[in-house]
Amino acid sequence: MMLPPIGLLHYLILSLCLFSFGLLAVITRRHAIGILLGIELMLNSANINLVACNHFLNPGGALLDGQVFVLMVIALAACEAAVGLAIILRFYRQAEAADVADAQLLKW
Amino acid sequence: MSWADWFDQFAFFLVGGITLVSAAGVVFVPRIIHACLCLLAALISIAGLYGLLAAHLLVAIQVLVYAGGIAVLILFAVMLLHRGGEGGLLGGSRNLLIGLPATVIVWFTVAIAVVFSKWHYLPEFQPSTAGASSDVQAVGELLLSRHLLAFELISVIMLMALVGAIILAREDRPE
Repeated sequence: MMLPPIGLLHYLILSLCLFSFGLLAVITRRHAIGILLGIELMLNSANINLVACNHFLNPGGALLDGQVFVLMVIALAACEAAVGLAIILRFYRQAEAADVADAQLLKW
Repeated sequence: MSWADWFDQFAFFLVGGITLVSAAGVVFVPRIIHACLCLLAALISIAGLYGLLAAHLLVAIQVLVYAGGIAVLILFAVMLLHRGGEGGLLGGSRNLLIGLPATVIVWFTVAIAVVFSKWHYLPEFQPSTAGASSDVQAVGELLLSRHLLAFELISVIMLMALVGAIILAREDRPE
């Protein structure tokens, strides 16, 4: 059995599957925190793409810009989680529910 | 195939499999707190993927910030409002009929784009022999030289997010 060696394509397909799971979670979850979990999955799949491209497509391993980008994305994800959870807490206190279908104040 | 190649194969498929199984758990587990724990497992195994990609600094950052910070923050929030916790996919989801075909379409579109792209591979690629410490040093120097503006802007954004989260989440004080 001769499998091809692990290359960029493996990591891209893996992160694509991860992104699809995140998208599915965002679409199908009814709980507001479930949507936040899906967004975290999508951000992580993008991070895997950045690190994999940095690892496989740079001459001699000299450049590390992809890893710096990942640090930025992680910092932004932390901000996004904090603000998102604050909004969810606020919404829960007002509407007594965390189902996103109940959020209709700004809908139409 | 050499012994190292077999190890690469085994490690990639093991860690990637754990990642995908726990990511599927985030979507399909009915209770939201179990989905949070699945996300925690996925984040830790993604740290393992970074290790396979020789990004040693990111392994530490991922475990510290994501698994230790963000996932625990989400877990606390779930425990604070754990009454509406039921109703995942098994609890009857409205959007599965739309979401599943949409996700499959997105998957195939991006997969075709990825597979048929012409990546500029470097066939003579050799893994960097630099150790973890010089990895940290190089990333730190990049952060404070070439990406200095983004670094400073991130700190402003974090301050804004901190203040905004406090203002949003605090109780309304009758005045």
